[in-house]
Amino acid sequence: MEQALVVENLKKSYGKFEALHGVSFEVAPGEIFALIGPNGAGKTTTLRIVATILQPTAGTARVYGMDVQKDAARIREIISYLPEEAGAYKNLTGLGYLSFMAELFASDTAVQREYIQRASDITGLGERLRDKIGTYSKGMTRKLLLSRAVMTRPKLAIIDEPTSGLDVVAAIDIRESIRRSAVDGMAVLLSSHNMLEIEYLSDRVAIVDKGTIHDVGTPQGLKDKYGKANLEEVFVQVVKQ
Amino acid sequence: MRRFFVVLKKELKEMLTWQTLAPILVIMVIYSFLGRVINQEQKKQSAPQPMTIVDFDRSQTSQMLAGILTKANFKVTTITEGVVDDIVRKVASEKGTAVLVIPQGFEAGIQAQHPQKVQTYTIMRNFSLLGMNGTFRFDAALSAMNEYIGDMYIKAGAPGLDPATVRHAISAQSFVTVGTTSAEANPQEIVSVVMQQTMVIPIVLTLVIILASQMIAASIAGEKENKTLETLLSTPVARGALVTAKMMASGIVALVSAAAYMVGMKSYMGSLIGGTGGTSAAVGQAIQKLGLVLDLRGYVLLGLSVFMGIMVALSIAVILGAFAEDLKSVQFAIMPLIMIVLLPYLITMFIDINTASPVLKWLIYAIPFSHPFLAAQFIFAHNFTMVVAGIIYQFALFLVLATVAARIFSTDRILTMKLNTARRGLRAGGWTLQREGISWRIRRK
Repeated sequence: MEQALVVENLKKSYGKFEALHGVSFEVAPGEIFALIGPNGAGKTTTLRIVATILQPTAGTARVYGMDVQKDAARIREIISYLPEEAGAYKNLTGLGYLSFMAELFASDTAVQREYIQRASDITGLGERLRDKIGTYSKGMTRKLLLSRAVMTRPKLAIIDEPTSGLDVVAAIDIRESIRRSAVDGMAVLLSSHNMLEIEYLSDRVAIVDKGTIHDVGTPQGLKDKYGKANLEEVFVQVVKQ
Repeated sequence: MRRFFVVLKKELKEMLTWQTLAPILVIMVIYSFLGRVINQEQKKQSAPQPMTIVDFDRSQTSQMLAGILTKANFKVTTITEGVVDDIVRKVASEKGTAVLVIPQGFEAGIQAQHPQKVQTYTIMRNFSLLGMNGTFRFDAALSAMNEYIGDMYIKAGAPGLDPATVRHAISAQSFVTVGTTSAEANPQEIVSVVMQQTMVIPIVLTLVIILASQMIAASIAGEKENKTLETLLSTPVARGALVTAKMMASGIVALVSAAAYMVGMKSYMGSLIGGTGGTSAAVGQAIQKLGLVLDLRGYVLLGLSVFMGIMVALSIAVILGAFAEDLKSVQFAIMPLIMIVLLPYLITMFIDINTASPVLKWLIYAIPFSHPFLAAQFIFAHNFTMVVAGIIYQFALFLVLATVAARIFSTDRILTMKLNTARRGLRAGGWTLQREGISWRIRRK
């Protein structure tokens, strides 16, 4: 079966600073794959390259066999990207925003309506969708953006720090939404420095630090391998080695 | 193309909000109000001006002078006795502004053909431009009185001679030549009418360029700050469509704003330049004969020049906006553009391009925003080659800049270029241009 994402020896430099030193991993269709690591580890750079908004300095990233540099336009048709702490257009209503984003992906108005309906159901914001986004709380905005990211049923959803800055209740809501959305073969590539969250959400995990992947495995497999009780302890052990 | 219109619609919704429209409406109302007030003040100034004459001579000549001043649009009140200081104080208390004192023996002195002195008192209480006008009315009064006395002397000395012939022995029949066509007209009147036709162009152009540049740069910086740009860049919208939609939306909103400003400014400017009371039929005919009216070809060329100027400005603003990291740094980012826009406005106001030194002339031609300013002058001078050359230059420059702007959007430079004004840049007394990890610093000495 064709992999949803294949990343091989990916490198990225900003001037003299090398942010990625040759990252490689694969994500299968329907799989939730997480990059875990501290701030500045290279998680966001990797996600941005896969989302076709940054160009790698070396190496390749292929989404369903398409190269992120050569086939960027085709890849954008089948992915969705949710940046960390992203905002939305404050002068638009929640519905207006969903309608705008749906229109960019939909081939006709019937499909557009279907996308908006799906997103409305996922957000759980009800009548508040008719209010301007400027009046939303951080948690409401994040729910709106997440529903936007999955409403088109992308083949690969790229989500950067899904619950960063949210309170516990909102964070749990978002994690449940991601879990529910990862059906019908939709692959999810996400990043977080919250390792407990990743343990709950992910099928497989890559431990990233200073632009390098140190180990990849299932959360349980990694815990067993290093004889640790949770992923945080695994991470410390791996990085120290 | 469909996605282009989707983004355009979103951009317009984002830009056309009450927060952006309210200040424009307020300025429109303020300018309209100012225009009305100035018009009313001008009407007051053109009404007969009050003048108090203190006639200590009480002679036929002094009484005649009062009549002459009435004819010269003065509302004369005559007093024949009293103390001058008391009279001036009384006139001042009654809000009068001018007192003319004719001394005793005035008529006798005139008849003996000895130069006579009158005293004038100007009561100043208003130092505005219009208020000051009223304080200099004695010049007109003295001129009218001298003309009358001069005529008296000529009639007495040479009974058969018409005083007007002596005073205006030579008069000019003025012709104005433009290109190969000449017409009988006063050059000052022609310049005034042509200026009224064309002075609106630089004002609108400057307004539109500054507004549109601010809007597009703020739009890009805002999207970067909110990270909505990252989301947009990962959608199937072509990067070129994204840039063009932003440019078009900013252009439309700027044109709407400029139109609203102009409605207000029309009344204001009209009151400042329209004091001549319109163009006379003779001047109108001369203007037509000299070809100093914009025909269809003129309007098309001028419109193209203005349009290309706006497009060049927008593409520069896109590039500068890409450097702005957030909304706060937008003003600083587009400052160089505003300076370049204002430069030809100031230069063409004070310098004649035809007589400028070659270096200055080519410097002016190199600034793309000079051409809309110069286009009207060239069209009136029937120098269409220069107008077309200017438009071609603007178009070529636009293509280069638009390519650079599209290139920035199609690579990761749009996310990695930064203009750092807050931390190191301003504190170090200069600019810091950064591309994550790389920084160029231009330090002020």
